Amino acid sequence: MITLWHYLAVAAALFGIGLVGFLTRRNLITMFLCAELMLQGVAINFVAFARYHGNLHGQVFVLFLLAVAACEAGVALALILMLYRRGRSLDVSRWQDLRELGVPAAVDLESLPAVHAEPDPTLTPAGARPAPVAEEPARV
Amino acid sequence: MTLLAVPPPSAAGQLALAAGLAAVGAFLLLPKPGLRSVAGGVAGLVAGLAVAAAWVVTTFGGPVANTVETALFGLFAAGALGFGVVLVTQRNPARGAIAFAFVILSVCGLFLLLAAPFLMAATVIIYAGAIIVTFLFVLMLSQNDGPSDENDRTREPLLGSLAGFAFVGLVLFALGQSHAGAAPLPAQAITPAEQATLRAAAADLKALEDDRFYVVPAAGGTPSPERVALLSRTEQAVEDVVGVSPRKNDGTPRDGPVADRLAARSDLHAKGVLDRVAAAREQSALAFRFAETAVNDPPRGRPAEAKAEATKLREQLLLLAGVGELPARNVANLGVLLYAHHLLAVELAGTLLLVATIGTVAIAHRRGTAA
Repeated sequence: MITLWHYLAVAAALFGIGLVGFLTRRNLITMFLCAELMLQGVAINFVAFARYHGNLHGQVFVLFLLAVAACEAGVALALILMLYRRGRSLDVSRWQDLRELGVPAAVDLESLPAVHAEPDPTLTPAGARPAPVAEEPARV
Repeated sequence: MTLLAVPPPSAAGQLALAAGLAAVGAFLLLPKPGLRSVAGGVAGLVAGLAVAAAWVVTTFGGPVANTVETALFGLFAAGALGFGVVLVTQRNPARGAIAFAFVILSVCGLFLLLAAPFLMAATVIIYAGAIIVTFLFVLMLSQNDGPSDENDRTREPLLGSLAGFAFVGLVLFALGQSHAGAAPLPAQAITPAEQATLRAAAADLKALEDDRFYVVPAAGGTPSPERVALLSRTEQAVEDVVGVSPRKNDGTPRDGPVADRLAARSDLHAKGVLDRVAAAREQSALAFRFAETAVNDPPRGRPAEAKAEATKLREQLLLLAGVGELPARNVANLGVLLYAHHLLAVELAGTLLLVATIGTVAIAHRRGTAA
């Protein structure tokens, strides 16, 4: 028998996964998606309680949650766009000048692995170079 | 043998183990220049999920009653959690957006299981747009040439995973405590067990509406024992839920479990349920008195009235059992609730959307290029 408690447990786990992502990831778009993930966990809680109590108030609350999530998405994406225009990067650590006073700056110690880029293929020239011919002028 | 002699870990130990395993798994999976192991990370997360699932089954009860519901719940829950992990640990934000789409679909499945079809449709429609916009942003802003700071580094992966999963463990522990009765939830109007009792009693009452129930036994015969047993069984079942009416001759008045549970609540919903319970209590006294007279003392019995009262009681019991369920017409009832009880909130949400639109335009406006 699947009860309210099972849904609450799943919602808590979903919220926690979103929380881990929001705390650790540095890409602004991924952080935004992780915040949406947390909102989904909350929505499951509301709908499960609506079912438990046999009335629809929880579902109405999720409707408002959708509206607030839409506002949040609009403002967040506009902010991401502005930050990208200024910093040319989606890395949130580029804005760590905004951190609290007295907190040391985070420095990336380990270097990223270098990509081994394949050089473009070249062909050895062979045969005689053709004699230049007068190009026919383009007729318009 | 020594392994078997170890006592099973307590709830707190089990949850701490699950949170630790999941945190180590997430740490191994998160993208970073140094240590990253997909196999080890997946193993850690799956082990943590298995321990947590075992705890959930032992604490909240395992799957027994409804195989299909249980299978669908497991599928959607695993889908939401699995694709959520993919979203968090995926380097490429475009793939993260695809994983998020699958999370949304799984959550919509859970909504359907929770009897919220309108929310399911609304979520799919709204998030389809949101995910497409996210894709556009990824295409527009993300450089896809080799490793980059934003995609291949994480802030404090170990501490972040530990904090997040410790939070989940604490929430689950609190849920377990609440389930065990330390901090119980607000009372449910009609519990599923009471619903089952009421529906069984209503099914039994069907027999009382049949003419054959009132056939007079041969002269001098005793009333048929099956009918007497059916009557007393049904009456007992009804009394177990709604209580005993003071109008009944031989019983002391007594409140049923529903009235006891809802006595402390003062909201309209609880009052409505209490009114229904009181009406069913009176009706059951009336209906069973008629039926008993008709069975035990046929000359004085009035089968037509007994049948009518039994029908009324059966309908009341079915309505009372339905109090614990959501209404079948989801959209219509949501609309009524939204515009009858939450009108101010609707207006506020509309204002919020307007302000957010203006704010978005103001933020994204490029100064100096436009008039």
